[in-house]
Amino acid sequence: MTWRRPWTLLRRRFLLRAQEDRDLDDELAFHVAEETRLRLERGASPEDAARAARLAFGSVTLAKETTRGVWVSGAMERLLQDLRFGFRILTNAPLLLLSAVTLVALVIGGNTTVYSIAHAILSKPAPGVRADNLTTVSWVRDDGFVEPETTYANYLDLAAQSRLLGPMLAQQYVRVALGHENGSYGIWAAAVSTNYFQALEVPIPLGRRFTEDENQNATSGLVVVISDRAWREYFASATSVIGAAVIVNGMPATIIGVAAPDFRGTQLAPSVDAWVPFMPFARAAGNSQTLSSRGLEEDLPHVGNFVGVLAQLRSDASLAQARAELTTLWERLQAQYALVPQNRSVTIVPYAATAGGNGPLSTQGTTFLAIFSVITVLTLVIVCANVANLLLGRATVRQRELALRQSLGASRTRVVRMLVAEGFVIALCACAAAYVFARWMTGVVATLVAPVVPPAVTQVITVPDWTVAGYALTLALGSTAFFTLAPAARAWKQPLLPWLKAGEQGVAQGRSRLSSSLVVLQLALAVLLITSAGLASRSITLFAGTDLGFDSRSILLATVNTGGGAVDQQTSATLLERLRVRLQAVPGIEDVSYSWSGPRMNVRADARRSGAVGESVVAATNYIGPDYLRVYGVMPLAGRELEFEDGRAITPAVVTQRLAQRLWPGQPAIGRRLFLGQRESEVEVVGVAPDVYFDGNRLNPNGQSGNTYVLLPSSRGLRDPGERTLYLRYQGRLDAVAPAISRAIRNEDPRVPVVRLRTFGAELEANLWPVRALTTLLTVFALMSLIVAIIGQYAVVAFDMRRRSREFGVRIALGASSRQILTAVLREGFRLTALGLAIGFGLSVLTGTGLSRVLYGITPTDPLTYGTVLLLLSLISIAACSVPAVRASRVNPISTLRQE
Amino acid sequence: MARAHRQRVELLQGTLDLLILRTLQWRPQHGHGISVAIRSSSQDVLQIDHGSLYPALHRLERQGWVDAEWKTTENKQRAKYYRLTAAGRRQVQTERDRWTRLTEAIARVLDPA
Repeated sequence: MTWRRPWTLLRRRFLLRAQEDRDLDDELAFHVAEETRLRLERGASPEDAARAARLAFGSVTLAKETTRGVWVSGAMERLLQDLRFGFRILTNAPLLLLSAVTLVALVIGGNTTVYSIAHAILSKPAPGVRADNLTTVSWVRDDGFVEPETTYANYLDLAAQSRLLGPMLAQQYVRVALGHENGSYGIWAAAVSTNYFQALEVPIPLGRRFTEDENQNATSGLVVVISDRAWREYFASATSVIGAAVIVNGMPATIIGVAAPDFRGTQLAPSVDAWVPFMPFARAAGNSQTLSSRGLEEDLPHVGNFVGVLAQLRSDASLAQARAELTTLWERLQAQYALVPQNRSVTIVPYAATAGGNGPLSTQGTTFLAIFSVITVLTLVIVCANVANLLLGRATVRQRELALRQSLGASRTRVVRMLVAEGFVIALCACAAAYVFARWMTGVVATLVAPVVPPAVTQVITVPDWTVAGYALTLALGSTAFFTLAPAARAWKQPLLPWLKAGEQGVAQGRSRLSSSLVVLQLALAVLLITSAGLASRSITLFAGTDLGFDSRSILLATVNTGGGAVDQQTSATLLERLRVRLQAVPGIEDVSYSWSGPRMNVRADARRSGAVGESVVAATNYIGPDYLRVYGVMPLAGRELEFEDGRAITPAVVTQRLAQRLWPGQPAIGRRLFLGQRESEVEVVGVAPDVYFDGNRLNPNGQSGNTYVLLPSSRGLRDPGERTLYLRYQGRLDAVAPAISRAIRNEDPRVPVVRLRTFGAELEANLWPVRALTTLLTVFALMSLIVAIIGQYAVVAFDMRRRSREFGVRIALGASSRQILTAVLREGFRLTALGLAIGFGLSVLTGTGLSRVLYGITPTDPLTYGTVLLLLSLISIAACSVPAVRASRVNPISTLRQE
Repeated sequence: MARAHRQRVELLQGTLDLLILRTLQWRPQHGHGISVAIRSSSQDVLQIDHGSLYPALHRLERQGWVDAEWKTTENKQRAKYYRLTAAGRRQVQTERDRWTRLTEAIARVLDPA
């Protein structure tokens, strides 16, 4: 019953307390007055009546006290009293509260951030997908490799026969050039089944969805639904876009709808901007025969060959039932068609934006979460130990007070409850602080990753999450239990007598070896993290400052999609050369060239000189256009640059001087031949380039600094039309040159979209981004662990000092100067720091040696970094120890000893 | 010994509760009125200890068996009137039954048939 009407009780306890006291006074006063009145009526004199009435009543004070006793008898009321007591810590020990709250908030907040991001990325649907009960169908090979795709024909059979799965959809990502009269754009598109938008329950606010007729009817043309972003950016949000004629990869098409604003496909990456139905898309491209193929065939045209499948699970079916049904259907298909892959079984998992497939997220996501949980628990234990130390220190000071309380009749339970209430208040404040911190951190991380990840990712991770709030709360409550345990346990078994005898006040209960070693461990960890962060940031600064051998700021990169205007490699190469010639005439442009894979030389090949067996040099290659070296502002050291087409039978090549010297030391390289790659294609050196870092990367694929490149003419490459990058050396203002470039490309062929336009410098900076982000994160973690370690050290030293305050009193009384005491405590504290530094540096050297391959320009034992860390940690830890040290040196010997 | 003492107190307490509830069955009454009513209806045999009357009233109020309200008496004085709630009415019956059983049992012990 005492738990009934908690609000009434709360009101009574805190708001109406005074009122209730007054009421009780009035009530008892009325009783006495009434009694007096009765006696007066019976004829007593006023004085006698009043006296007799009071006598008859007995002690008013006692009655009041007993009545009040009734008020606080309830469990709820006792709890409130405990809490009120707990909140006194706010005013009693604000510094302690602040440190404890900071510790817990940092750890819980940090963990919550990582957890919420992981949770968002691993288990949420992509933005805009409104359907529940969605599942991802995938295929598992005998060796455990997961294939997220099957063929369109297999999908059709599964979709038609499944009873337990509702609408089943198919989709396939394709990179396309979308063109209309205002321009042409390189975008991600998805070929989809016609039920795609219904199955995902994505509304089409403008226009309509696909119809089955569009899929089946061979005479119907290609129709497109575009994303809200494409509609706003490419079509200026015009409603007339419905019915507009566009060109998709050179094929005429009609826009029939604009998807809901937040929807960009079913996965976080890629972000899709256009959707087309499978059949008309394949028909228009002239390869509808792939749509009926049963087996995945790499050499067939892409569309319809690798399709991903999602399906809604009927509400009355379980995942296991659906899996069993799909397995039956799949085995029937395997029996029916020899081409259907025989060594694959079908499976089905709940849909998430990252579920299915072999991406590191979907295969290792759960492992990551498991590892992360372990780390979480470990850090939490360390932090809780710190807070426990803080509270233990406080408990030592209050031991006498607690003993007094107990001897005055407070039960052990009562004292322990009081301590737990304090812990609860700390946890409550920490939880609130952690929530604020986590919200802020998530925002920071989202901003940090925004430049490199698709917008959908940042959108997903910044959405607040109740699961995560619950997680934080559980952590906070769990940690309360943990860090109140130690002081509470001590209070429980503490003998009263010694504490009541004043002389025993300075009795020390063995110093905690465990907490000291814990502090050393934390310090070592902080040292390791700070040193690593220092090495990383020193390395990245040196890296970004290295001379590349050319000026990256005066080169502009324009990536175009030749698929908009070319059908095969030959026309694609000619188109690129035409663009180059056209761009050379643009004012402000000095030299123009191009390459296949952009500045990054992705193709890695072993170069081996003709005649030599077994000796090879690791080299990077790229297919390039004429004037490539000119764009970089360098001249060939020997021989000539590559031409567009020189008509010779053997492929010409330009190699860097370093490669030439590695292959033919001390000899001229021109006219020599070498073999490249696994296919051992033979090329002839026609030019030697200076050792310029053409890809802007100072590390070669081997991880060692070097620049061994082989440049080949683009006309000799064998690849379908696609994205190629033009290099333009320009002069003057960028904002004047850039529009002229886009205009020139459009004039040459309006179907060719400019996918990206940026300076070489910006590209390099973007490449460095992941390293920078990691360094920032590392630094943040290092600082956090430093704070945790320092507060931990403070707690231990402060605890120790309080324990020994009587000893200090005696020493001062015997003539020790306060300076000596100060040094003694500082020395004690610094012993921990020195140990932590030693272990931390040892660990740093070990990790640093492991990381030496990714460090640039510095050794793993970089003296500057180590020196800085040494200085920083020493200063901070002396500062942390000096608070208790100064307190110790000011111990008043008289007052300490008087208590004897 | 302490235990025996506590049991006796509880017994008395239960009895007091029954007496208070029973008195309030007639009409709402203030604390003084209740003590007068019990005294007169027991023909002055039962004297209520005021040190336990008010705690008992407040306890009954917290248990939800009585409600309290400040009203003015005929003599224009502010007094706290207690009134039986529905739960209180049921409680009277329960307490009465228990009392009857107790007295019958004690009677049987004192005068075995």
